[in-house]
Amino acid sequence: MNSLQVQPVARTVTSVRWLPPRAGNAYTDTDLYFISGSGSKHKELVLWTTGNPDFKQLNDSDTDNAEESNVLASLVAKTSHDGDVHAIAAASSDTVATASSFGTISIYNIGYESECNLSLRESVTAHRFANGEPAVCTALSVQPTGAADAEVASCGEDGKLSYAPISRLDALQSHEVDSTVITGICWPTPTQLAISTRAGQVKLFDRRSPSEVSAVFVDPSQSYDFECITAHPSQSFRLVTGTNTGAVLLWDIRNPKQPTMEAFNVHQSNVWSVQFHPTDSSKIVSCSEDASLAITQWVAENNNSDSQNRGVRHLSSFFNALSINCFDICPFTRTSIIVAGSDSGNLLMEKSPASEFSMF
Amino acid sequence: MSRIKGVDKFVVEREKETALHLKPGVFPLGRQSEWAAQNRTLTFALHPLTAGVAVSVAGKVPRENISKDIKVYAPDERVYFCKTVAVSDARLPFANDTHAVFLAMQSIMGQDAEEVGVEGLLRMSALYREAMLQQVRMLQDGEQQQQKESEFVETEVEIFQSMHAIWHLLEIIYLTTNLPGLNTSVVPYYMEWLNFNFPAPLAEDGQRIADSARDADALNKNTELWPYLKKLALRGHMTTLANMLEQVAPAQDLSAPSARWARELARVSREMPLGTSDETTGSFNARWRRWSNETHDIATAIGSLFSDEKDDPPLRSLFRIAEILRGEVDVISEEGELWQDVLGAILLYSEPTAQADRLPTLAQVVLEQFQTDEFTQLDRALVALINHDLAEFLVYSNQIDNWLSAHTSDIMDHLGILEEWRSVFAVDPRAHFLHLLGEKYLSHQDLWHVGLDYFGQSKTLTGMSLVEESIVRMPLESDRKAQKMLDVCAKYGLSTAIDRIHRQLGRQKWQRGRLGAAIGHFARVGDRNAIGQICDQLWAEYLKSGKLTYGPIIDGVMAGGRLRHDRLQFLTQYRDFHESYKAGDFIAAGRLLLAILVDETAPLHAIPDLLVDAIPLLEGDSLVFSADDTFELMRCAEALTQSPLVKKSIDTAAADQMLPWSEESPATTRQDELGIFNVACARNLARSFVVL
Repeated sequence: MNSLQVQPVARTVTSVRWLPPRAGNAYTDTDLYFISGSGSKHKELVLWTTGNPDFKQLNDSDTDNAEESNVLASLVAKTSHDGDVHAIAAASSDTVATASSFGTISIYNIGYESECNLSLRESVTAHRFANGEPAVCTALSVQPTGAADAEVASCGEDGKLSYAPISRLDALQSHEVDSTVITGICWPTPTQLAISTRAGQVKLFDRRSPSEVSAVFVDPSQSYDFECITAHPSQSFRLVTGTNTGAVLLWDIRNPKQPTMEAFNVHQSNVWSVQFHPTDSSKIVSCSEDASLAITQWVAENNNSDSQNRGVRHLSSFFNALSINCFDICPFTRTSIIVAGSDSGNLLMEKSPASEFSMF
Repeated sequence: MSRIKGVDKFVVEREKETALHLKPGVFPLGRQSEWAAQNRTLTFALHPLTAGVAVSVAGKVPRENISKDIKVYAPDERVYFCKTVAVSDARLPFANDTHAVFLAMQSIMGQDAEEVGVEGLLRMSALYREAMLQQVRMLQDGEQQQQKESEFVETEVEIFQSMHAIWHLLEIIYLTTNLPGLNTSVVPYYMEWLNFNFPAPLAEDGQRIADSARDADALNKNTELWPYLKKLALRGHMTTLANMLEQVAPAQDLSAPSARWARELARVSREMPLGTSDETTGSFNARWRRWSNETHDIATAIGSLFSDEKDDPPLRSLFRIAEILRGEVDVISEEGELWQDVLGAILLYSEPTAQADRLPTLAQVVLEQFQTDEFTQLDRALVALINHDLAEFLVYSNQIDNWLSAHTSDIMDHLGILEEWRSVFAVDPRAHFLHLLGEKYLSHQDLWHVGLDYFGQSKTLTGMSLVEESIVRMPLESDRKAQKMLDVCAKYGLSTAIDRIHRQLGRQKWQRGRLGAAIGHFARVGDRNAIGQICDQLWAEYLKSGKLTYGPIIDGVMAGGRLRHDRLQFLTQYRDFHESYKAGDFIAAGRLLLAILVDETAPLHAIPDLLVDAIPLLEGDSLVFSADDTFELMRCAEALTQSPLVKKSIDTAAADQMLPWSEESPATTRQDELGIFNVACARNLARSFVVL
């Protein structure tokens, strides 16, 4: 098991997200920014910066100093958040959307001028139970469209899906689509949404008819709860869900009536977040209640079809005993940088050099 | 280092207790008597698990016993929650780091304690110490960044330095000098401990003395020099001592004998034998005897000069240094400020090969010369540790900090040295102190999981019941937190707590109108009764609205076929019946309806509605029910009419006009509907015979 670097931050980190490079191209950014959200006692959004490891050779001395002082990232700005931060989605380098335990979706602006700051631009209550109590907004996702005004879609414990343009949250639309808790959401395509539910279902929706389920997928052989979902960055028919039993399920839904599914039992407990590696999508990265990150090679190598024998690399830290709640992989650098947050009040990081690029 | 005195510590705690007050208060400042005169007093209840108190206004006598009307004010109706013990946020990194080490220690010792042995515990102990030092550094850095001194930081730093001193000594006595296969002297470790935890003389003092002196004369004139050199000798800083003696020796003001003996003392200081790991005790003792004899001769020689030249202060100091080096207990006791200093110097110069088991005897000799009633908690804990009085040690450790008593008792338990002390305590000391720490951590929102682990890892029935009782009282703020709590229960095998949490979640979801989620939770604990009630609610909503809207709820909870319940089965089949009917597939609809009735999945009160639903199929253009099917339907109707319970329900339903169509035709009752059903059955039966 490989070791993650740890930086204590004295708050329960519930969500973390890299921000796109400000210049639009990471190769010109020597500093990378990410944003973390916390819950329980400290309900906060914190903006962090860390050196771009692709520039290590240029700034060798600085990096060494940072490593010696055991600082993975430096705090740039912070602001309080209305409720626990359950999810963060970056719309651009200066705009993020957050999901709150009070059922709200909020849009924050990030200022990089003389003094960096985080400021709340707009907030709307998107999730509420029938009896009027606010429902936890469990996840949100920004529409992957090049259009200027993308939509943010959120889901909650009230079983509703909500959509709103990022520029006008007051134009929010909500549809009740599940009777249990919706645990995860993603956009496989700009017009298609996928959600995972506590009842172990994956449901697909067409954005153009958002209240109707276009397909439902269940694994009839096992009794799972799904905790999270994500879509392949380029193959929209591939979805991954994380389960409460520690498995990562890879779905191929090309034939919606007979989807194929492959299970990788890589964790001991609930899988809280899952992603395809942005620069090497043959890998699935997942984090879990068992305090570890797992990097699973899902594409069989050397025609080895036995899923259990495919490579799984586990990452953890001796000083992080509690659940890793969230992680994100920086898609803008050649060096793979994973940043994660945990219940032990730690930020965790792993930097690994990118594998040599080969076209054939 | 300034330290909290024992008495002061208690006063501080008492002050904290008295300083607890509500903000805003329940009555205006200075008007307590006026407020209390109106039959008011304060009542409180302690939280059963954490260090919290609920305070509210109460009447001194019951309201019924008071003749006049009492006005009720809004502040009187509030309940105030206060925390009497709070874990500071500054402690979070320390609590989390040491929790990780604690869990790792339980894990490795649980697997193969013998193989892990003292070496493994020593590694873990070093990690605990590093966490303490890291905490001190973090507190001091934070104070520096804020550029102001804080009383809180000072107190915390003091506590952590005390804890480190105690832990370090415990490590030396029970781990470092107990490594298997080594016959190690405690002296170098004790001196390292002494100089690390009670640094003296301070390097800054030495630097200041050196900086102030341009030459040997100036150095000699510095009044701080000779006390500083004596401290160096006491602490065994021989190289620094030798360097400074050589620096001061050329001073013009220094008498010739003083200069000569300063050089001689510098030489012997440099030559003091140091034990090495590859040297036998015998060989070291031989070297030590030679060196000791030499220092003895030097001390005697200076002593003879000193009697002649009584007005030579440097010579007097040199004599004192020589006396210290030869291990003269009286001189060491006079020069040592702390008992730790004296014990260190005696060990270093009198018993350089002493084992850890000599410490109690030597400590007793040293402590006779100190007034122990002025000792701090730290002193008392250290003395108890040296004397192997673990019961007293744990009590004093607990007074310094819960963390210390919990973790020291844990490591002592792993070492097997706590066993003989268990009889001294009314309860298992390890479990007791771990539970205390767990309770303390539970008072912090971010440390609930850590607190529960300290309960659970005590591996006692009390610990398990504490986990269970705590976890079922925790607020279920979100679905994810509920999952985490269930995970903790599964880790400790608390099936009853899992059931209770699922039931709480089920009720919570039910109240919030999330019926599907509620069914899911009740299904996990097999609460068929609650599931039945929710299904009845869904059925009643259908009857009330006439709209079949529960389909997605049923589909959601029955996904994957993991849930089996008669009522759910009935609702699913009934939904399918409607869909088939709507689609014009009357044969399939009829089969489904018959299956519901024959399998008896429907509740009795729903059967009349099902029979009524059969009427359009019986009276339709095409034959849906065969003769056998019709006989089944008639049998069901017969059984229904014979059931007194259902008869009553039919009458009640008719009276309440539960059926939506009853409003359209008030004259129609269930009895009439059943009559129509019977006629329809008879006609269908006739048709079925003709068709056949």
